[in-house]
Amino acid sequence: MKPSSRWTPFILVSPALLIFCFIVLVPLTGTLGLSFARWNGFGSPSFAGIENYHRAFTDSVFLKSFRNVGIYILATLFLEVLVGLILAGILSSRINTTVYRVALFVPVMLPMVVVSVLWRFIYNPDFGLINAIVRKLGFESFAQVWLGDPKTALLSICFVSGWVYSGFYLAIFTAGLQRVPRDIIESAQLDGATDSKVFWKIKVPMIRSVSEVSALLCITGGIQGFDLFYVMTGGGPYYTTEVPTTYMVRSVFRDQEIGFGSSLAVLVTFLVLIIGFVFSRIRKSGETSIEY
Amino acid sequence: MRKFNAATKRLLAGITVMALAIVPLSACSKSDSDSSDKILRISTIPQGETGDKVWAQAADIFKANNPGWDVQFVIQDDDLYETVGLPNQLTGSNPPDAYYEWAGDRIVQRYNDGFAAALDDKIASSKLGSLFDASTFNAGKANGKIVMLPIGQDVTNVLWYDKDIFAKYGLTPPATWEELMTICAKLKAAGITPFIMGNSGLWVAGNWFAHIYSRIIGEKMYDEIMTLKKPMNSPELVDAMKIVVDMKKNGYINPSANSIADNEGYTLFFKGGGAMLPIGSWIVGTQKDEAPNKKMDFFNIPAIAGGKGDQTSVIGVTVGYVINAKSKKIDKMIEFFEGFFSDEITAAWQKQGSNPVTKTAMAEQLDPLQIKLGKLIRSGAPIVAPPDTGYQLKIADALNLATSQVLDGVKTPQQALDEAQAKISKS
Repeated sequence: MKPSSRWTPFILVSPALLIFCFIVLVPLTGTLGLSFARWNGFGSPSFAGIENYHRAFTDSVFLKSFRNVGIYILATLFLEVLVGLILAGILSSRINTTVYRVALFVPVMLPMVVVSVLWRFIYNPDFGLINAIVRKLGFESFAQVWLGDPKTALLSICFVSGWVYSGFYLAIFTAGLQRVPRDIIESAQLDGATDSKVFWKIKVPMIRSVSEVSALLCITGGIQGFDLFYVMTGGGPYYTTEVPTTYMVRSVFRDQEIGFGSSLAVLVTFLVLIIGFVFSRIRKSGETSIEY
Repeated sequence: MRKFNAATKRLLAGITVMALAIVPLSACSKSDSDSSDKILRISTIPQGETGDKVWAQAADIFKANNPGWDVQFVIQDDDLYETVGLPNQLTGSNPPDAYYEWAGDRIVQRYNDGFAAALDDKIASSKLGSLFDASTFNAGKANGKIVMLPIGQDVTNVLWYDKDIFAKYGLTPPATWEELMTICAKLKAAGITPFIMGNSGLWVAGNWFAHIYSRIIGEKMYDEIMTLKKPMNSPELVDAMKIVVDMKKNGYINPSANSIADNEGYTLFFKGGGAMLPIGSWIVGTQKDEAPNKKMDFFNIPAIAGGKGDQTSVIGVTVGYVINAKSKKIDKMIEFFEGFFSDEITAAWQKQGSNPVTKTAMAEQLDPLQIKLGKLIRSGAPIVAPPDTGYQLKIADALNLATSQVLDGVKTPQQALDEAQAKISKS
């Protein structure tokens, strides 16, 4: 249907456009502008050219933060997505599993700051739960300074992330698995396929698009990860859990280098966009998969 | 020109009505903010449960004298406040009228940035002038102007010890560093961790060892390094840092130090997890709140043989309140502080365990530990400024990080200080 006035479409989109401008475009443009400036948050900014970007590309901590976030994403792809998928497979093949689903989803509903503080206590090397159990069982040598040791700090955070978000991916995969037609599964079972084979050879391929979206959510969410890192370790010890977002916050708010922090924000945004773009291209090229 | 049809006109009319509705709403919100003109906002760090009661008492005095006025306290965790919190509040839409600060480079920066009012005239024309000795204001000056009303002098780091543990093993406060190391060896042999700290924020070990460095390399050189007149990886500092390596090698500090927060360190000490706690004077208030039965005392860092600094020096800082130069309620703030520094509130602070510096407070200290701390900081020994509150935060961070890296054994002093210097040079 054609609009009665040529202004109607513009008037209809204007509220959404205005909101978009205020919450996305203006901050984005402002950040981009500030990334070329030297500014401590007070007084007037001065033009710095590409100095901030040059510094970002040669800043060992910033580069290390990408290595850290890469490890985090790889670990969480297993601990969140794969575990979520396996849990969904187990629970969807059983009856009366509501209690388990709710129990596994509860961590998702907790605020991340609460989760972080809770796990800080659990990991506390002197009176935390994990070391207390380990010591009680007589394995004193397994007691660790979990969040203070560069060898264990990042993995400890990954584990907490898995504990929280596996329930989230469980919900997503459960919804996907429920859409797999029963007749295909029953045919396979009649042909003698085991539960495991039905799951890996039939159900998982048929929910490929759900898996792809989950992986994309996990990767982009991983790059944006902040709260767990900030509250549990603050990026320490010695930057071993520093991720781009915590380094950005440190630069802007602690070191008061707004320009440098803005350049980091621009680079991270750019990276997320590239990943999204590459992912969508890969998905398009593999669109011959099974549809249901 | 094409005319709008009826439907489009209705849509436009609707949008206009909505826009008109928004105007009074914004006006309402403006009028809310106008009414808040009778609120004094004070940003500060936590003062403990009993400290909160003293604040409330001070607010009540002001409100009784100023009907219709209110006092709001914005309290933030000290780590957050010192770094991210205060700058954000000052540049936010609802900045505080007065705020807690540490004397030194920080108040000079606030004054230069236009967030600290010069108070010389206000002090002279109000009761505040008679409540303090004129010399007490010296530490709170920026560019020759008084910008801070001092609430106390924090001894930033001394060595607190568990009196029961020391008595059990027949130990007495040491006079020299060698004696301290002998005490540590005895405690270690008895299965007791000599020192406990929560250093995840890096400043606890940072302050303690900065004082030790200044004793070894001398206060002048320490100051030159912290003000970038000399490089962070100066050979003298590299050598001084070897003392951290020895402490690590001998296992004299709790292995969890770098992973637990300062308050977790206090708790561990209060629970008997170790014999000594290197921390500042504020622990007196915390101990009163959290472990009133704990018997503790303190001693300053003992003399280090061959050290180039004054071996009686004290690491400390004057703390107090700065009135925001951008506030429209400076006179009311002065009035508030007249009540806040009155004899009644000063006595309440002393009972709470604080170390106020008004004339009456200095004449009549109540808490024996505070008396001892007061004597220490006013002993005439050189006062060394702590890295995080006395110097630029970025430089303090670099030194504190280097100290904690060496403390954990992940870097040698040379590597850690080279890295610190490189980081400072880049920024």
